[in-house]
Amino acid sequence: MVELALGIMLGLLGLGAGIGMIAGIGPGIGEGQAVAKACEAIGRQPESKSEVTSTLIMGCAIAETTGLYALIVAILLIFVAPNMFAGIIMNAVK
Amino acid sequence: MQKGNRFDNISVRFIFREEEPVLNLDPSVKRETGYIAAWTGILSLVMEAVFLLLRQWDVSVLLGNLGGAAAAVGNFFAMARTVSQAVEQGDPKSAATRVRASAAIRMLTIAGICALLIGLAKTNPFATLIPLLFPRVGIMFWPLAERKRKAETAGTEGSELD
Repeated sequence: MVELALGIMLGLLGLGAGIGMIAGIGPGIGEGQAVAKACEAIGRQPESKSEVTSTLIMGCAIAETTGLYALIVAILLIFVAPNMFAGIIMNAVK
Repeated sequence: MQKGNRFDNISVRFIFREEEPVLNLDPSVKRETGYIAAWTGILSLVMEAVFLLLRQWDVSVLLGNLGGAAAAVGNFFAMARTVSQAVEQGDPKSAATRVRASAAIRMLTIAGICALLIGLAKTNPFATLIPLLFPRVGIMFWPLAERKRKAETAGTEGSELD
């Protein structure tokens, strides 16, 4: 019974990590759109290239943070949560 | 007859290729990566101090911090370089595709590095993962630094005009 509970727990944690990583798709799409618009802007005003590139880099880094949050949660679910939940299950059985 | 390595000439040509520098970086990439690296370093020291104060410090915390900070700065540098090269390219469609592909590859690389550090090297998970968020803190203060830099540039240009 304990083995079954542990198996279900590990499966659900893996599933949660996988679902969480869906958030990693968004930043890529957002960054791509931002860069495409920046290319158009630089095409219109080539003299503003340096300023646009700097702002774009920082904007992309901000966009990327959401993906990193998802990644951190997924890694915590895979590496940290199993020990924690296993402890809770074992205590409940005792 | 001299018996040398047959790859000698090739390697010499590869190293001393003068017309095309190996790492041709945009100045804004260097500047912003330096800024983010400085913030990551400062915040890493603060995190180490917090672990020490909580009496939770050990070598796994230091290793995790170093690995996480290196991954964070490396990720930012790779992103900045890809973005600047995509902008340099000029074509919006191919630039967007390039950046999307880079984002996916970087995310997988960071996941792999973290999994190796936490799973195999047994570093502290929190000390490994928290530095990934340090660049975001640095970006929060970026407008202030940018305003200061612009004021300094304007001052220098003004004095040059005088």
